[in-house]
Amino acid sequence: MSIYKRDLMIYVGISIFSIVLALVFPAYITQIAVMFLMVILAQTWDLQGGQMGYNSLGNIMFFGIGMYVSAIIQIAMLYGWGGVGEYTSASGSIKVEIIKSNYLYGMFIGAFAAGIICVLFAFVFGQIFLLFRGPYFAIGTLGMVLAVAELVSSWEWVGAGGGLSLPVYPAEDPTESGRLYFYCFLAISAICFAFISWVVSTRFGLALNAIRDDEAKAEAMGIRTLRYKVSSWMISAFFLGLAGAIFGNMSNFIEPLEVAFPTITFGVFMVVMALLGGKGTVWGPVVGAVIFHIIKETTWTYMLGYQWVALGLLIIVIVIFFNQGIMGSLAERYPHWFGIKIEEDAEEATS
Amino acid sequence: MKLTTKALSFTIGAAALAFAGIASAQETLTLGSAISLTGKYATNGVHAQNGYEIAKDLINKGGGVDIGGTKYMLEIKYYDDESTPARGAQLAERLINQDGVEFMLGPYSSGLTKAIAPVTEKYGVPMIEAEGASRSLFTQGYKYLFAVLSTSEQYLASAIALAAEKAESEGKDPSTLKVALAFENDPFSLDVRAGVIDDAAKYGMQIIIDDKLPRDLSDMSATLTKVEALQPDMLIISGHSKGAATAARQIAELELEIPMVAMTHCEAAKIIGKFGASTNNYFCPTQWAETLTYSDSLFGTAAEFDALFKATFDGYKNVPYQSAQAAAAVMVWADALSRAGSLDQDVVRDAIAATEMETFYGNIKFSEAGNNIAKPMVLRQIQNGEYAVVAPSKWASAEPNLTFK
Repeated sequence: MSIYKRDLMIYVGISIFSIVLALVFPAYITQIAVMFLMVILAQTWDLQGGQMGYNSLGNIMFFGIGMYVSAIIQIAMLYGWGGVGEYTSASGSIKVEIIKSNYLYGMFIGAFAAGIICVLFAFVFGQIFLLFRGPYFAIGTLGMVLAVAELVSSWEWVGAGGGLSLPVYPAEDPTESGRLYFYCFLAISAICFAFISWVVSTRFGLALNAIRDDEAKAEAMGIRTLRYKVSSWMISAFFLGLAGAIFGNMSNFIEPLEVAFPTITFGVFMVVMALLGGKGTVWGPVVGAVIFHIIKETTWTYMLGYQWVALGLLIIVIVIFFNQGIMGSLAERYPHWFGIKIEEDAEEATS
Repeated sequence: MKLTTKALSFTIGAAALAFAGIASAQETLTLGSAISLTGKYATNGVHAQNGYEIAKDLINKGGGVDIGGTKYMLEIKYYDDESTPARGAQLAERLINQDGVEFMLGPYSSGLTKAIAPVTEKYGVPMIEAEGASRSLFTQGYKYLFAVLSTSEQYLASAIALAAEKAESEGKDPSTLKVALAFENDPFSLDVRAGVIDDAAKYGMQIIIDDKLPRDLSDMSATLTKVEALQPDMLIISGHSKGAATAARQIAELELEIPMVAMTHCEAAKIIGKFGASTNNYFCPTQWAETLTYSDSLFGTAAEFDALFKATFDGYKNVPYQSAQAAAAVMVWADALSRAGSLDQDVVRDAIAATEMETFYGNIKFSEAGNNIAKPMVLRQIQNGEYAVVAPSKWASAEPNLTFK
């Protein structure tokens, strides 16, 4: 019981702290919103990469698909489906006059639809890609996201490489939209965290761990591995789709190669953050994402021109010194913090 | 808990630094810019940054800007937008909210400008940009966006007109000309492409290849193989600096003989220096050339700007127009701020809108929509390793070297 109580206090504490932080430092609200996005990216990646042992390099695909699905639905709700092509081919020259309730309604419908459609994509792609293992899965998923990005970037109906300007949130106060996206990302990351930490505590989580540890044995024990793997991917896809939808609205202007399918930035960051924090742990990706984001924003401000060098060094340091990640290293050194009991004899034997 | 204290100490530290920045900012006016220092637009991002810097330093050396009786030194705060629009939009929020920037300089490329303009517009922060040429930027009804450069449909219009003229003088119908297009899949290049297709349709030219350059712009041999097979009369390429460099390199490698090659961003890609004689006879549209007859009181003539720029920054055989127009944008800021005599954003905005000045870069006068309507594009041809202006005739220093078979 006490461990649940402690966890609950931590959740409530962090949520209150985040909201207070945003109220006290309103100027930093966009950065904090992006920090929560980073938490979502790391957490959803870890469900495959950490818990299941499937290192995906293509999860960012769901982020991009979610962004486009939501954008198209929002535009279609204003112009009808026939108007989408007209709107996109004007590449942003149609200016939209909308009211707040229309915008919010469109965004929430769009985001929810984005989540659902991403789940469908994960279901279909999962049947194919999750048959690959190890490096073949990693490279296969990388190929998958690159192919989807290329397809979207030559699809005229969604604006192709020219991109798509989304309707702007109509508000008198210019800081209001920042707060809106902040609360959206806070809510999605909180729900995503709660859901994933619940899921990995159930039999489902044990099955994923079994797949990671020895997939053939897991199968021999009667676990329908493909079904578990696909379900886990569908969970990640749902949250990534939601996050992509909100991020598209936050960016106002979306285009396929750099914003929607940023393979070499967000696509790599999500892996780095999970590794930094400690993969296969519930808190690891969160801690990793927060620290990574703070380091990134700081080096981007104070080491302009060398920020990528600093980031490269960070990755090397993680790989060499923290190959268990921060939470992994802590668990090794202070197991009792994590409720892991080590028998006296075993401890003496190792020392 | 470890997490929360760390975040808290960071934010307090950051806030303290931001405060220190404001406290020491007396008599200094900070312009903000998110610019591409890394990523696919890094080359041109640095060209633009150099342009901003040279103008800012020269203005400060001359005593700064007089705004309502007080002298202000200009300062520019940069962030790296990594050539991604999403990052650009975040950084614009950051410049305005965290750094308290009230006046902005533009980023590099139309895509980044498209992402940043809604943010500056939302906060009522005037932005003078020098590197976003897409027409769609000026149809949104933006009030606070001003651009010193000519819009993208003008880039290659004179090259097509020249080809049509030449064909007619050779006794050929322009509609028999076959055109090959290779464009980057980004907002700017696609907008240039739209202009080219309109112009080609005007003369009835046939477009036989219409390819997109690949995402990383490092290989266009597939398109060039088609060019070799289909023998077009004209090959038109636009893909910022990297696209121009790739095209020039691979056309030389494949030893293609094309009657007319026209590409954007020749100077910025430094193709003469890199690929030498193989680039002879290429047509390059430019926003500005050092041989033009414009002048102002800060830099002097276009040629004097050219000389100063080469003396200040290493490695430039030709000064790219991206740098010249960036410098011009800073000059417009200085001019508008001193005319406004106030730091009120709306007063300054109206002063910018009323701008009417001659600079070394060209005349500047903004339309209602915010684009510069007082300056034409120039078409140059590489002749014997040098750029020679061939159009418009007012500045032409050489006859175009062009024959269709």
